[in-house]
Amino acid sequence: MPELDGARLTFKLVYYGPARSGKTTNLMRLHDLVAPQLKGELMTLDTQGDRTLFFDLLPMGFVAPSGLLIKFRVFTVPGQVAHDGTRKAVLSRADGIVFVADSQVTEETNNAESFRNLAENCSRVGLDFDRLPVVVQFNKRDLSPILAEQEVRQRWAGVSWPLTFATALSGAGVAETFALLLRALYRQFDPELQLSDRHGLDEAAFVAGILP
Amino acid sequence: MNDVFDRSPCLADLLPGPLLEQVCGHMAALLEADTALLDPAGRVVWGTPAANAERSPLVLELEPIGHLAAPVAGSRLQAAAALLRDILLARHRLLMASRLHVESIAADYADLLEQHAALQASEARYKELSAELEQRVAAQVKLLDERQRQLYQAENLASLGRLAAGVAHEINNPIGFVRSNLSSFAIYLQKFAALKERLNDAAAAWQALEIDYLLKDGADLVTESIGGIDRVARIVGDLKGFSNVDRAEEEVVDLNENLRQVVSVLQGQLPAGVSIDAEYGQLPRLLCLPGHLNQVFVNIVRNGVQAIGDSNRPGVITIRTQAVDGGIEVSVGDSGVGMTPEQRERAFDPFFTTRDVGKGTGLGLTVARDIVQAHGGRLAIDSRFGFGTTVTLFLPA
Repeated sequence: MPELDGARLTFKLVYYGPARSGKTTNLMRLHDLVAPQLKGELMTLDTQGDRTLFFDLLPMGFVAPSGLLIKFRVFTVPGQVAHDGTRKAVLSRADGIVFVADSQVTEETNNAESFRNLAENCSRVGLDFDRLPVVVQFNKRDLSPILAEQEVRQRWAGVSWPLTFATALSGAGVAETFALLLRALYRQFDPELQLSDRHGLDEAAFVAGILP
Repeated sequence: MNDVFDRSPCLADLLPGPLLEQVCGHMAALLEADTALLDPAGRVVWGTPAANAERSPLVLELEPIGHLAAPVAGSRLQAAAALLRDILLARHRLLMASRLHVESIAADYADLLEQHAALQASEARYKELSAELEQRVAAQVKLLDERQRQLYQAENLASLGRLAAGVAHEINNPIGFVRSNLSSFAIYLQKFAALKERLNDAAAAWQALEIDYLLKDGADLVTESIGGIDRVARIVGDLKGFSNVDRAEEEVVDLNENLRQVVSVLQGQLPAGVSIDAEYGQLPRLLCLPGHLNQVFVNIVRNGVQAIGDSNRPGVITIRTQAVDGGIEVSVGDSGVGMTPEQRERAFDPFFTTRDVGKGTGLGLTVARDIVQAHGGRLAIDSRFGFGTTVTLFLPA
């Protein structure tokens, strides 16, 4: 549940996924794409040979017509299997998830393993995975061999989560992914938070606040 | 968690008491002016703001978490605020990382506890299973013991039956001639009665009635009958040794006596062409279950008789006893068919028999070995196929 604290509403968002799938790269490109007055610095903590050890944090936000500061604290988790405790701790109290999968066919097992880990950890930290806003991003579309978009969509046809395709290194698909998460967040929380009724925010404005 | 981690940073978290004093003190010294730290609402957190103070916001994420206030030139104040912000940012990262670290350790520990509980549950389950298994094995062993006893009993009954047949035959023979002798003797007595009526012509009557012959033959009949009765008595005596098979009472005996009884009982059942050659050495007296050992000797000697029968030629059962170091050795050899190495290998296996169904239980040697082992002894088989078998038995005395 987003935290409402005076004139500030804070959403906690988490980029989850297997090791080296491009979670931190997504955050760096997102930082580049967002207007300067709406973001803080990207805080990257203790990386070890380019691998995230603890987490990354990108704060972003905008002010609603009502004057409410809508704030997003976007985290990444360490993807390596060994850091499950850290992953669980970062995941705790998340309001929305982007699952970043590596499109390479050789990574299918890792993707599946990490996704199962996400579902497990959600239930362990008390999140209802079925109700949680989740977007699944297939990253690294510039590499090969990968499955064609159509085939990926066929395979994931039964699920309710929106799928996106990205090459985070060049920035392609990064904003689209985040926009999909913002839409999912809005639909999930508008009824409780009365974003449109009390704060003058419709879904389009909610997305445009961050991604004009 | 999620006090420090999920909350936007604030001055109170980032600069607790002593640190606030230290950092702001240094800042005031650097600015050489009345310096104050204000919260986002403008309330004083540290110092005394000068009336003409400039303010510079301290922004870590999006919104200011406070202001640095001092009456100094704008560029100087901004530089000081940037330095202070760097310090706050470093504190912010440290707090978040350490908070996360604690949290992840706690999560890992919780996982370990979970695994530990699962392991304990599984260990308990295995213990339970193992206990149950032990019970089932014990029950099976008990059942097997019972079956074995029943078979042993059956084997005993079978050999007792065979024994009874032999004994009946043995006794029938003397009984027959004793009865015939007594009939003859009754006629002799009538002749003596007739002699009494002809005493006036005694000499002629003595002659006519062949009294001389009657006296001599009568004496012979009585002697022969006494011999027959003695034979019956001996057989009955020998049988006594077998009558207490199931009364397991230990006695101190001379084993040679037992063997003599066995040989005597079996002698009558020997088929044509089989003889027994027994030589008994001086033996120490032995504390044992004589009935059981008799059973062993009967089994072994009977095996020998059968082996000779199978060879289709006459043969001898050789029985030797001798005192050896630490005990008594009894060997029973036969000149029968012998065993192949495979048969020798399986000779002690329960129910292993080379005989037709119904002719042998395959328990004779098994039971013999069990009994000898129960006496702390050993039973060995030496056999050559076509030449015969020798069973050697050692009993500690």
